[in-house]
Amino acid sequence: MHILLIEDDAAVGQFIVDELDTAGHNCTWLRDGDSGLATARSTECDVLVVDRMLPGTDGLTLIATLRNAGIETPVLVLSALGEVGDRVEGLQLGADDYLTKPFAMDELLARLEVLHRRAGSAQTSAQTTLQVGDLELNLLTREVSRAGTPIAIQPREYKLLEYLMRHPGQVVTRAMLLEHVWGYHFDPQTNVIDVHISRLRQKIDRDFDLALLTTVRGAGYRLGEEQAEAPQ
Amino acid sequence: MKALEVLSSLTFRYIAKYVTVLSATVFVLLAGLYAYISYSFFSDLSDTILEELETLQVVFSGQGIDGVGQYVEDQLAAPSSGRFYYLVTDAEGEVVAGNLGALPRYEQFTGGWLGFQLALLEWGETVDVDFLARPAALGDGFDAVVARNYADITEQATLVFRTLFRAMLATVVLGMIGGFVSAASTLDRVERLNQELSGIIRGGPGKRIDVARQKGYVRQLAEIMNKLLGQTETLMQGVKTVSDNIAHDLRTPLTRMRNQLVQLRGRVPDAEADALEGIIAECDDVLATFNALLRISSLESGGQFSGGGAVELQPLLEDVVELYEPLASERGIDLTFCAEALPSISGDRDLLFQLFSNLVDNALKYTPADGRADINLAVGEPGFLQVSLSDSGPGIPAEERANVLRRFYRLEQSRGAQPGHGLGLSLVQAIVHYHRGHLALLDNEPGLTVQVSLPLA
Repeated sequence: MHILLIEDDAAVGQFIVDELDTAGHNCTWLRDGDSGLATARSTECDVLVVDRMLPGTDGLTLIATLRNAGIETPVLVLSALGEVGDRVEGLQLGADDYLTKPFAMDELLARLEVLHRRAGSAQTSAQTTLQVGDLELNLLTREVSRAGTPIAIQPREYKLLEYLMRHPGQVVTRAMLLEHVWGYHFDPQTNVIDVHISRLRQKIDRDFDLALLTTVRGAGYRLGEEQAEAPQ
Repeated sequence: MKALEVLSSLTFRYIAKYVTVLSATVFVLLAGLYAYISYSFFSDLSDTILEELETLQVVFSGQGIDGVGQYVEDQLAAPSSGRFYYLVTDAEGEVVAGNLGALPRYEQFTGGWLGFQLALLEWGETVDVDFLARPAALGDGFDAVVARNYADITEQATLVFRTLFRAMLATVVLGMIGGFVSAASTLDRVERLNQELSGIIRGGPGKRIDVARQKGYVRQLAEIMNKLLGQTETLMQGVKTVSDNIAHDLRTPLTRMRNQLVQLRGRVPDAEADALEGIIAECDDVLATFNALLRISSLESGGQFSGGGAVELQPLLEDVVELYEPLASERGIDLTFCAEALPSISGDRDLLFQLFSNLVDNALKYTPADGRADINLAVGEPGFLQVSLSDSGPGIPAEERANVLRRFYRLEQSRGAQPGHGLGLSLVQAIVHYHRGHLALLDNEPGLTVQVSLPLA
């Protein structure tokens, strides 16, 4: 995917560029708000990564300007240690995701993938079922089945599975699950999510040869086969 | 304030010593004064006797023995007299004139003075009265003795002495009372200072002694203490800043290191893969510690919550319970939640979720299997909602309860036995204070009860 990075810190910027390059992504790097805004308006890109504090136009103003101009490219805001409330403010101004520096590259990559795909699948939001391999989830009846066998599932497990199935083949981090499935942004002291995942795994994978829900070491979880770059 | 406290105070002891020395001095002075007064009275007494003898001698040399007899009779008859007693004898020792029948048994003093006692009739009864007397030869074998009693003189001296003694007694008593009062007032000031200082110890390093409430030298002391508190605060701030800076500055290189380690995945031999994951996990652990530390600092230094976000605690706590329920049942702990229908509070929902998830996390971590952890949401003191979490774990000894809220502090028994950084409760406290609430750790007998009071919106 093509990523536009607007970041004034040389070390962080270079690091992200290198990492994205290693991960096989194409990255354009701009170092201030004004040229970043101009480039974002004139170039097609899949995801924007914007530092909050920028020389010239600051990150949040930049996003607001883009949104006002009708440009809906997903934006991930990077910020130095978030003051309380910063995150909410950023999301309210039109950012799609928010990540506090310094961050693990896995986390950034996972979030970029998700943003990218969400934008790609926006047109098909009218779908009524989700399918990953032989696992099916009916969004209307809230029924889950695998290879035709119905699976009894509890409400929170349903939300968890729905989120995973909306991002098939993508790495989903624990922080992302807490934010989107539970709706809270916080750091659990223990991997409390793991227990939920293993319960879900019991239900969807136990009686089947092929495990769909896998743990990605050090990063998070993935449902289904690892996917190649989504079609542009 | 107890009287005993006043009596044992330094000020009172100082004043008591001062009064004692003063009394001793006054006593010596009094003794000297008494001696002087007595001496001068007696010298007056002896002078008058000598004068009287001289008069007798003059009368004798002028008018002879008859003149002396007449003079003595006149003197004794005069109404103002009675001061002198006379005895005039001839060469044979026969009494010629005077009112002393014979010389009583006397004591011989130096300088030709005699002393004796004479029983006198006074107010209807006889009283032994001291006399001073002096004999002198008149000539032609006639001798005269003039005596004078000095009871009035000793009486006067005694009167003076008594007056002085009473003055001294008054000095001592008044001095002691003054000492007591001034010691009490000093103690009172010190007590107020004590109270202020205890308040500062409870209230945190930002507080200062109210100098305007103090007076005199206590005010100076208060000013110095305030300066000292200021320096302490600066030092504490410095230590915090340094540790925050370390955490902040180390986060970036540590993250970079972690990311480089992640890139090694798949490139190291399978045998080393586990070791690599172990190192990555360690990095995550250190990063989590740094993040928690910086989070606490940012909460503590960022003032208090001022936004208007309304949070309903009941659904939030239900979410916490729902999140932790699988973990609890996996560990064999009964996690329950009980709530009244209550109004919402003003707060940051992510932080509040963090707060209660930390508490539940702790309860699940320390409560043994088959135990229980109960969350209860109710109305607390006026204007507050109260969330209490009671577990059946080992609890925290009363003397350790303040300590466990300190950063990096961990109980001896949980060190090594349980994973953790010793920051969980510090973060809880920081979030509670950020919301203008307060936190109490209580004994659940057995187990721990954590009480979080949050102000209503």
